Amino acid sequence: MKASVAIIGGGMQGLMLAFCLAERGMTDVAVFDAGYWQGGASGRNGTMVRGGFSSPEWTRFFGHSHRLWLGLSRRLGHNVMYTQRGYAILAESDRTAAVIEESLQVQRDCGIASHPLSQDGLARRIPIVARARVKSAMIFEDGGTAPHHAVMKGLRAACEERGVALHYDTAITAIERQNGRAAGVWRGEELVTADATVIAAGAHSPAVAELAGVELEGRPWRLEAMATEPLRPVLDPALALLDRTVYMHQTARGEIVGGCEVHGDFAGATLASDLPVMAHYARHLVEMMPSLAGLRILRQWAGIIHASADFAPLLGPHPDCRDLWISAGWSYGVMGAPAAGALLAEAIATGRIDDRMAPFAVDRKRRGRLIREAAIVVSD
Amino acid sequence: MARHGGGKDERLTIFWNGRPIEARAGDSAAAALHRAGIRGIGCSRKFHRPLSGDLALGLQAQLDGIPNVRLDRLIVQPGMQLGSQNVWPSPRFDLLQLARLVPRRWLRGGFEHPRALPSGSRRFEIWERLLRFLAGGGDAISPSRQSEIRPGKKIAIDVAVIGGGPAGRRAAIAEAGEGRSVLLISRGRRPGRFAAAMGEVLPLLPGNIRVLAGWEAIALYRGGRVLLAAPHDGGPAAVIEPQEIVLATGRRSLAPLVPGADLPGVMDLASAVGLARAGAIPPGQRAVLIGTNALEAIAPRLQKLGIALAGMTEAGRATRILGWESVRGIELSEGKRIACEAVIHAGPWRADPFLPFQACAGGALRLAAGELPAHIRLAGSAELPPEPTACARLDDRAFVCPCMDVTVAEIRDLVSGGDSHVEVLKRLTGCGMGPCQGMPCWDNLAATLAHLTGRPAESFGHPSYRAPRAGLTLAQAAGLADLVAPEPPS
Repeated sequence: MKASVAIIGGGMQGLMLAFCLAERGMTDVAVFDAGYWQGGASGRNGTMVRGGFSSPEWTRFFGHSHRLWLGLSRRLGHNVMYTQRGYAILAESDRTAAVIEESLQVQRDCGIASHPLSQDGLARRIPIVARARVKSAMIFEDGGTAPHHAVMKGLRAACEERGVALHYDTAITAIERQNGRAAGVWRGEELVTADATVIAAGAHSPAVAELAGVELEGRPWRLEAMATEPLRPVLDPALALLDRTVYMHQTARGEIVGGCEVHGDFAGATLASDLPVMAHYARHLVEMMPSLAGLRILRQWAGIIHASADFAPLLGPHPDCRDLWISAGWSYGVMGAPAAGALLAEAIATGRIDDRMAPFAVDRKRRGRLIREAAIVVSD
Repeated sequence: MARHGGGKDERLTIFWNGRPIEARAGDSAAAALHRAGIRGIGCSRKFHRPLSGDLALGLQAQLDGIPNVRLDRLIVQPGMQLGSQNVWPSPRFDLLQLARLVPRRWLRGGFEHPRALPSGSRRFEIWERLLRFLAGGGDAISPSRQSEIRPGKKIAIDVAVIGGGPAGRRAAIAEAGEGRSVLLISRGRRPGRFAAAMGEVLPLLPGNIRVLAGWEAIALYRGGRVLLAAPHDGGPAAVIEPQEIVLATGRRSLAPLVPGADLPGVMDLASAVGLARAGAIPPGQRAVLIGTNALEAIAPRLQKLGIALAGMTEAGRATRILGWESVRGIELSEGKRIACEAVIHAGPWRADPFLPFQACAGGALRLAAGELPAHIRLAGSAELPPEPTACARLDDRAFVCPCMDVTVAEIRDLVSGGDSHVEVLKRLTGCGMGPCQGMPCWDNLAATLAHLTGRPAESFGHPSYRAPRAGLTLAQAAGLADLVAPEPPS
């Protein structure tokens, strides 16, 4: 079998890249995934999208991605349900209030539509939040959410319509190396030769990179989320609480879905969830939204991401192996997928590395070029 | 005969959709409503079909704005305000009922994201707002309402036995006899009551066994940590980390996979017995008993409790349960019809899969059950293999997932399109994502796939049974935060 591009990983990154390659006329793209469709982090995430952070690098990249989100349904010909109901970030301490101030400045410089949210604005947009706890707040009015079931369905259909070959439950067992380049992938006994090979395997990316004999920094990191019973609308914008590393939103199904990070709780690359995150997230929720205290929890689940040293994506060619490309290290993968797909497709097709993608080079840790980003809700 | 909160005949008033209902002290809300002749309690998510029949699903209504309160677990309090959920603008004039007339094909999984209303457009934002409004099970909670974190507790114990039936009692007695401290956790307020009603002899529990009755083990985590809650009294949740765990959680009966099996009036044997004992089955109501075995022994017990049986047959012979708002009859495979107001199913039986699955599930690509760890064991009927779902012939109109409105027809079309992975089907349809969290929906799903493909039902497996089984409030969960330290980094 032969493909122009072989993509390892059929999650949001892999499918978006395949779609963008197909859009450029490259239709003999093959995608391989060891698991089932939507089984990885692409089917287990917080679904929230915003266009700005506190660093210029993140803001330029994710700002571009956010603009692509707005038109994605029309491009795919399928509705990804990206809803612009707003995305608010709250700070409860001087430290995080400073992060918000810095973010707003950077975002203004990058032309991102975000603005501070006053106490009155907070009362209007998020009436259930305990305002006395909030020191500073900001909102992306056209930020929002895109439920992964709709996004993944749209991507899958759009890829299939354009002739992309999707292979789920198909593990790649080796990556073919010839003359210092990646020449394709082995699925069991069968070699699929390819002009370019892409690793977009989420938490499994470092292990897949080993198949090509190269190193990919970062480690698997388990994150957990949970959903409550469905309520009539009480929470309009998506919400990130910087001090608590909490994120949440109310879905179109009425459930309040979110999660938080508990320090140290990343042991074991398993999809089994555990009690600490649920308990801590519930406490954050009750402290910030006391009127929800009597609401019941419907279910909890875990997903595994690939955490890079600075939680930023690892995007671009791998420096130690020609024709091997990487889209990994994602902790904000939903947000970044449209930009990553478009810019990486451009790089693979033309060899040109876009300025917005360049800072996220795969070997930046080795080169001492890690990116400092404070407005994220994952941390060491 | 003394009961919780007073004599058996002590009366009190609760409210259903604003209308006063007389209840007896100690009643479950389900029994009180059933006695008052109220059948359609909740509505399914998309078609707004009346739901309530099977108490195994948990009768669901809203209490104080909170949706999906399980009425079979809720003890009535004077003045309690209960209401239908998922209705608009009011329970008496519910326009959402019109959804029952919508062709079912229009509301299949994915109807939320029609191509004609692409996101990025104003039209989509309006559509999404409408969806969000209609999806809410409970009304929005008033921002002025405040509630407190309920500090949880940790109970030190050597052995936990989950289930208060004969097997659980025997296990508890044996463990206590070896000098270990034993905690017996029973979902029912009177452990083993159903088994006793079925004629089983309950071994007496010695005083040194601690009993938590009316409590439910709602999750089992890696390493054997058990999460306990008494879901509906609002009190604190508890965590135990026993050295040994016995799962004597018994078996539940599954309704047959036929059209109408979700109608109010279809109930499992345990629910029927519970309602009859509470005096909530109206005199003169006729029931048909269906099941897999020992029906001759069960029938006289039901009759003794005052249930009039109009017939009795193998569950596999049922082809359809008739009715629009509630049960009016049952149709059997040779076309014979029996008029009745209730269908009681006593089989096929299936052990509750939640806790055993959680005790041994792992994997980074797919959460799958492994071997039970050595310190966790099954006892009694929980050990028995599952009986196959009753499905005389696969009928497109039958609901695989009653709460989320997933029909056999929808699964059939997805399978012909090439999707037969249960996790994928769950994500495409929402099957099993409602309040019952997959029981019985995923058994129905496997049975449907077996019929469609000719492969055995077990070969399809099931999606992961996620903790905590509905019941824990945010306030209760929040109270556990100080008790549960995160794992140390690997």
